[in-house]
Amino acid sequence: MTIAEIQNSFDAEIANCESLSQLQELKVKYLGKSGALTALLKSIKDLAPEERPTFGAKVNELRKRMEDTFALKADELATKEMTRRLREERVDISLTSCPDRGALHPVTLIENRICNLMIAMGFEVLSGPEIETDYYNFQALNIPYDHPARDMQDTFYITDRYLLRTQTSAMQARVMERKKPPLKIICPGKVFRSDNDASHSPVFHQIEGLVVDKNITLCDLKGTLEYIAANLFGPQTKVRFRPSFFPFTEPSVEVDLTCSNCGGKGCSLCKETGWIEVLGAGMVNPYVLENCGIDSNKYSGYAFGIGVERVAMIKYGIPDIRLFYENDQRFLKQFGK
Amino acid sequence: MKIPLSWIKDFVDVDVDVQTLCDKMVAIGLEIEDVAYLGENVTNVKVCQIKEISQHPNAERLLCCKVDIGGEIIPIVTNDHRVKVQDKVPVALHGAKLANGLHISKGKMRGEESWGMFCGAEELGINGDMYPNADTDGVLVLSDDAAVGADIRGEVGIDDYVLDISVTANRQDCNSVLGLAREVAAALGKTVREPNVEYTEGDAKTNDLVKVDVLAKDICKGYFMQGVTDVKVGKSPVWLTSRLAKVGLHGINNLVDITNYVLYEIGQPMHAFDYADISGKKIIVRRAFDGEKVVPLDGKEYTLNDNDLVIADSDRAVGLAGIMGGANSGIKAETNCVLFESASFARMNIRRTGHRLGLRSDSSARFEKGIETYTNNLGLSRALHLVEQLGCGKVTKGRISIGEIAQNRIIKFDKRRIAKLLGIRIPDEKILSILHLLNIETTIDGNEVTCSVPPYRDDIGRDCDIVEELIRVYGYDNIKGTLMEKSHITCGGKTEEEQIIDGIKNVLCGLRYNECVFYPFAGKALYEKASTEPIDEREYIKIVNPIGEELSLMNRSLAPNMLQCVSMNLSRNNKNLRLYEVGKVYIADKLPLESLPDEQKRLSVCATDIDFDEFRRDVLQTVRSVTDGKIKLTRSDNAALHPGISADIAVEGVKVGHFGKIHPQVAANFDIQTDCMYAEIYLDKLLKLVRKEIEYRSFPKFPSVSRDFAFLCDEDIAAQDVLDEFLNLPLVESAELFDVYRGERLGAGKKSLAITVVFRDKNKTLKDDEIEKQCAKVLRVIKEKYGVALREQ
Repeated sequence: MTIAEIQNSFDAEIANCESLSQLQELKVKYLGKSGALTALLKSIKDLAPEERPTFGAKVNELRKRMEDTFALKADELATKEMTRRLREERVDISLTSCPDRGALHPVTLIENRICNLMIAMGFEVLSGPEIETDYYNFQALNIPYDHPARDMQDTFYITDRYLLRTQTSAMQARVMERKKPPLKIICPGKVFRSDNDASHSPVFHQIEGLVVDKNITLCDLKGTLEYIAANLFGPQTKVRFRPSFFPFTEPSVEVDLTCSNCGGKGCSLCKETGWIEVLGAGMVNPYVLENCGIDSNKYSGYAFGIGVERVAMIKYGIPDIRLFYENDQRFLKQFGK
Repeated sequence: MKIPLSWIKDFVDVDVDVQTLCDKMVAIGLEIEDVAYLGENVTNVKVCQIKEISQHPNAERLLCCKVDIGGEIIPIVTNDHRVKVQDKVPVALHGAKLANGLHISKGKMRGEESWGMFCGAEELGINGDMYPNADTDGVLVLSDDAAVGADIRGEVGIDDYVLDISVTANRQDCNSVLGLAREVAAALGKTVREPNVEYTEGDAKTNDLVKVDVLAKDICKGYFMQGVTDVKVGKSPVWLTSRLAKVGLHGINNLVDITNYVLYEIGQPMHAFDYADISGKKIIVRRAFDGEKVVPLDGKEYTLNDNDLVIADSDRAVGLAGIMGGANSGIKAETNCVLFESASFARMNIRRTGHRLGLRSDSSARFEKGIETYTNNLGLSRALHLVEQLGCGKVTKGRISIGEIAQNRIIKFDKRRIAKLLGIRIPDEKILSILHLLNIETTIDGNEVTCSVPPYRDDIGRDCDIVEELIRVYGYDNIKGTLMEKSHITCGGKTEEEQIIDGIKNVLCGLRYNECVFYPFAGKALYEKASTEPIDEREYIKIVNPIGEELSLMNRSLAPNMLQCVSMNLSRNNKNLRLYEVGKVYIADKLPLESLPDEQKRLSVCATDIDFDEFRRDVLQTVRSVTDGKIKLTRSDNAALHPGISADIAVEGVKVGHFGKIHPQVAANFDIQTDCMYAEIYLDKLLKLVRKEIEYRSFPKFPSVSRDFAFLCDEDIAAQDVLDEFLNLPLVESAELFDVYRGERLGAGKKSLAITVVFRDKNKTLKDDEIEKQCAKVLRVIKEKYGVALREQ
């Protein structure tokens, strides 16, 4: 074949080439070891020596053109191939269901949330025994045997001396005997009272907070609770103190938050008052400090006890405390989203 | 406690509406549980006077009246033939609402106009304690001085509020009208009018009537007694019984009513003895003899011991001190001489006796909270004043007083203490005025504050108590939040153990398990359901006063509550259960408890609609997240689990849990009809096997070689045993089971294990002959040990 014939046949074939594999075959056919161009080049020996350079140059020129054309064609076909592939490879992407991650119990969610807040403020998280001595649960907290405050809490007894703790405050003296100020601790855990209805469970969770240091004031207690309230229920939440009584704090306060449901305007949740009682708190009674060998002239402190279920009920709108302990999986799963 | 507002107004002027009053009471620390307006259900009822009465023309049993309702004459038809012209009676007018739910409207009765209805006591919601003659049926005839046209509620005493106030345990003084009035006065900035305690003594000397001997001085701090002679037992006036009615008491007779009145007004429980029943002219306050019997007013016999305090005469106990008077010495119609007792009994003693005997009264409830001798004395004087006022006898001369009458206490402290506790400064003049309102007379000299605290405020003992008094009246709204700017910086955080447990929860949540929280106790029946072995109740820590037997034994396993929960969930059609709990078991060294028990943290994991292998992987993944120690599984003999489909987990030779399919018997007990897997992990043990610090290892430089084997073996050969033989070789990097085959070709009781073993030498490329050598050794060993041979192809 002449150069021109080769070129014509190449042009025709390349125009009809539709796949990379075909292209590869053409490449072999024209540029391969036994391809057309190689054959052409072999025929150079039949030419007169003076014609040879021109012929060679022409053949090389053709080779160059062919190579370029192959490259271009390869690109073109690859693009085409990619377009085809992308057109053909399709799945139904519309389905939105996925396996649920398991959920933490709402008690844990609230505990974690509050613990994390407090940790950021330098609080250590500690836990204590649920079966407690009368001493730590009552006496060390300024509640001697005959104190009427014992009636505030219906206690489960194991023996005269041992009981199920009625309050996480039982950890106060345990901690203060062991560690000296500055102290910032919180103690989450189960507490027990002989009570059972829609708003009372014989088992519930509290988080005790205790700070003892120089210069701790009631304003610090309020500030801390405001910080927690804002984080749990939004920055607009206000904190209100009402006078109350706990033998181990003086002054003692009940703490109300503006109702998260109505924002303080009054609704059925807050019994139209705009406020919801969430916890008890106060300045650590100096008797309690002195009992643990802490100088009450030098140090002061505050303590608070948050009812975890109470907070969860308000935050998540849970109507009955018994739901927490029933553990219906449909209930539990709601807290995993 | 429930107190009518009108009674409080005896002692303090209230010039604000009831809502404002309640808000102010709440602000200073009195919780208002409820406010009830007594006239709530009686509206548009007026006092009228009957001007004319005539026979109804069409009905023999009816009368037609013309009545004056205050400047207007209206017709009323009645069926009460006892009414007379000039009688003042209540009339319910058009639109009236009555206490018994009736609504009244204008109309005609048998053709005659009647613009309303005369009312009886029941329709007004009152009784004879609240208004004279209100115990009789028919139309209530009002007193002559009733104002015609006036709202009936004012006339019959139901234009009044009853406040239900919850008093904190430290404020026993507020369990009385007087105490509450003192608080109201402080809240409103008013002065309290002290109760009238004046009376004239007669000639009879108290000392001649009776001698009092307090033998148990340790539990009776004060005992005061005075008598009344020439007693006329009778009915109390309505003003008095009406008040008792509003606090929920019935009038009994004047003397008993006086003791009840003083109990509520002053807060002093009183007792009145019929002098005639006091043998030997002697009152002895003593501990009971062991086994001594007493019959108090409730008529039941109680057996006492020497921790109980009794009031006795020279022969016998006549009452349980502070709890209940004796049936043998009460006031009777014929009583003509009475001894009034006003005393202070140790609260612990009253509390214990009351609790032991199951006997509580209004009196004991107050004694349990503590009453001091100032109030003893005040209460007695008030009772004697009332005796004189009611004309029910002559007060005897002189008072028997045993024990000191409490006086004001002085508290001195540094004024800077106030700001130190509160974080705000209260101006001196404010300090003085607030404390003055509370009857705490105070002087400030430089930084020294001196307070004189009245004896009835025995809750105030030191500086911080005064600070509380100040801030509750000054107002807690003055406290502005700060964030401990002046305290030390401390390092916070969770313990390592808690962090690991958080991690475990995270892993389980990732494996789609949901966290549960259970009571850490259950009943014997539930423990029995969760086991195939009998339960020995004596091993359990037991609550002596549980809500019910089913909530009385502290956990020794987490399984019972978890399985009960699974059963409940299945009964509600919840499927694919994935549940876990981080809880505790409570193990006593010795029972009854002599020291705190060991509270061991445990993890229970439970799943339904799952096979053993999948559950095993979930459990192992959880354990693996904590420890990198060597795990070994062996058959478990746990009584809650299926013996063939359960395992004990050991890490580094320490048993850290068990898991498997629940025993079919246990499943049946809980009505669990689907496959249910349960695991219990002993976290306290596992947490001691925590992974050490992580150390980076470089990737192997030389290639690994993997070989597959198929072994034929008996069904009960444990695959892990075979794998372990490979894993024991120094050059084996991993050995895993990738298939188990059973089939007729293999023969009954046989299975084929397909295993992939990866070999690697970290120092060089392995050669085939080295691997062959090692393999040959292992194959020989497992053949000898387990009878496991390579499968013939």
